[in-house]
Amino acid sequence: MTEALIVKGLSKTFAKPAVVDLDLTVHAGELYALLGPNGAGKTTTLRMVAGLTKPDGGEISIYGVDARAEPAAAKALVAWAPDEAMIYDRLTPLEYLEFVAGLWTVDPKLAKTRAEQLLAQLGLADEARRRCEGFSRGMKQKVALAGALIHDPKLLILDEPLTGLDAAAARLVKDMLQARVDAGGTVILTTHILEVAERMADRIGIIAGGKLLAEGRMDELRAQTGGASGDSTLEDLFLQLTAESQPA
Amino acid sequence: MSLLPPASAAWLLAHEMRLTWRGYRAGRVGKGPGAMIGLIILFAFACVGGVTVALATHGHQVPIQPLAVAIADLACAVVLTLMLSQTLGASAEALYERGDLDLLFSSPIAPAKVLLVRALGVATGVSTIFMVFIAPLLLPSVIYGHPGWLGVFGVLIALALTATALGLSLAMALFALIGPRRTRTVAQVLAALVGAAFFLASQYRVLIGEGTSRDLYANLAQAAQTGRLAPPPFADLPLRAMVGEPLPLIGMLAVGGGLFWLAAMALGRRFSDAAAAAQGASSTRARGPVKPASPFAAGAFRATIRKELRLIGRDATLLSQVLLRVLYLLPLALMLARSAKGVDAAALAGGAGFVAFMAGQVAGSLAWITLSAEDTPDLLAVSPTPVSTLRRAKLTAAMIPVALLLAVPIAALTWFQPLTGLITAVGAGLTAWCCGLINLWHQKPGKRADFRRRRGASWFATLAEIFVGGLIAGGTTLMVMGLVAWAALPLIVAGALMMVLRRTDEQIARTLRTAG
Repeated sequence: MTEALIVKGLSKTFAKPAVVDLDLTVHAGELYALLGPNGAGKTTTLRMVAGLTKPDGGEISIYGVDARAEPAAAKALVAWAPDEAMIYDRLTPLEYLEFVAGLWTVDPKLAKTRAEQLLAQLGLADEARRRCEGFSRGMKQKVALAGALIHDPKLLILDEPLTGLDAAAARLVKDMLQARVDAGGTVILTTHILEVAERMADRIGIIAGGKLLAEGRMDELRAQTGGASGDSTLEDLFLQLTAESQPA
Repeated sequence: MSLLPPASAAWLLAHEMRLTWRGYRAGRVGKGPGAMIGLIILFAFACVGGVTVALATHGHQVPIQPLAVAIADLACAVVLTLMLSQTLGASAEALYERGDLDLLFSSPIAPAKVLLVRALGVATGVSTIFMVFIAPLLLPSVIYGHPGWLGVFGVLIALALTATALGLSLAMALFALIGPRRTRTVAQVLAALVGAAFFLASQYRVLIGEGTSRDLYANLAQAAQTGRLAPPPFADLPLRAMVGEPLPLIGMLAVGGGLFWLAAMALGRRFSDAAAAAQGASSTRARGPVKPASPFAAGAFRATIRKELRLIGRDATLLSQVLLRVLYLLPLALMLARSAKGVDAAALAGGAGFVAFMAGQVAGSLAWITLSAEDTPDLLAVSPTPVSTLRRAKLTAAMIPVALLLAVPIAALTWFQPLTGLITAVGAGLTAWCCGLINLWHQKPGKRADFRRRRGASWFATLAEIFVGGLIAGGTTLMVMGLVAWAALPLIVAGALMMVLRRTDEQIARTLRTAG
């Protein structure tokens, strides 16, 4: 099986350790949900994978490319969409997508076609030529998502992608992510909405204190959690695992 | 603050003042002692000036005569205009600063009271700035024989109240006429233009010519002496108030206070509606005909230049500030044109040097915006585009508006004096590029909103720009004067300075990591 992401011994310390000797593997073509309580190290881990934060130690391999040795080659394969949309208020969605496509050197004609398709898919076709400054948080999130998809990344990393979206928009985004995975793409996301992770993710990793507590499919997680019954929900497992990891 | 009754106007005002003070202190963090030392030196100079005035005026009274009245009235008009340029912008901002207003409007406090306090905050801020500047000049005279001159502070308060009332009314009128979205833009541009108009008025000698201005002053003085200059009734009130006559001073304060009270009360009811409308302003923008989309730019370099130029072009505050600097060049351009025609060598050379210097200043400001005030640094960091490509594109984007601004005046100069035009163009280009590079090497990440008065820019970079720009401008001046050998000296020093200032990509990255 091709591995989309292999993380080995990843560490990062700010004022205190944020990520500690983390090992993680995400298979190509799967949707992987990285869960954890606030301050668990999820975002720091993903920022290191995206090349935004320099690790103190460890290895990151993206589709076989050593991300620390060849950052540009690795970045070409990845898209990163944080919970705060990375957009310019004074640009229109089309102009924004033109810029992002330029950064990933997508052919201009192809980029324009993709941009129009993505905006139509996300229900933003009518707003394509209006500046983003008046958009709601949800609309901005959709524009940022279109930006993440414009260069057709092999690995899509999303930090809390459903924040600020209404029910219809959340469904739309979930469907798009699922379609992407069905088409062979790889998605890693973090979310605090455990039901979404339970329903959508192929595999789930639970992290706390910068360490991976458990990883696998739901049945594997149940097996890894002592005393969990067969009908335990992800919420039960999550709460039990994270409570156990708390210092007494 | 806890001594004041909760939800009272005084309590709210204390809250506003606390936020303003903390904002000021937060703005000072990281500026180091340099700025404070500069302020102390400036203050000391002003005190020396104040003592000199006190000694010179000791035992003399200000005569209430037409020329003195005209000068006092003119001073009041100038101060009022300058204050208005500040209160107009501040009033527009008061409608848009949503976080605080949402909290206040969701509380049981009346919107009129909120507006009253906001307006008082604006008036206090504006009058304080002028008082701080005038105090060291005026207080020695007040202490040494002219206690009545304390009235100047009273006049400043009256003017600040009037300017706030006018600024608030104008902002609300703009709001009603052109809608909430454009109000802020127009207010910012108007405020900048008012400031520029003041500068242009101060340069009237250059604009209308030395001879004409001398004649005008002589005519005025003669008219005053012969009694032909008869001020209208009440025109002497400001002067009388300034020298401490109680009734005129009370009158001015009453007029200012009355206008302020009227504006706050009359507009208070509309304030919350206007602020609420402002929040949804952008999303309710009228839908015009949709333009067909132009083809996408190819590659990161072109896409980045296009994006930066779009962002510069759509930033009203930034444009108004650049426009201001261009307007500052206007008197100089006129002087250059006159000199070029008449070949007044010294004026022409000085003007060429000044154009080169200003090109560096504008380029430095734009380079700071494009390089340091990036709204989404993470987006650029996750992209595979090399940082060097992005920086080159951003620097190029900063140079394009400078080239456009200088193209016409330099072309006109070249028409009359080809060699001078060429030297000026090279000097301006060199200064602009060097100032851009300084901002590239000494980046200080900040927000676009901090552009006004370049609060966010690095002090070191600003000083370096002035030094290097000054040296190249000096070289340009000497070159135009034909002193080629002498011109080499400042240019070599500027080159050496640039070598010292140069930073490698690794050094820049390290500095940015530390700053982050």
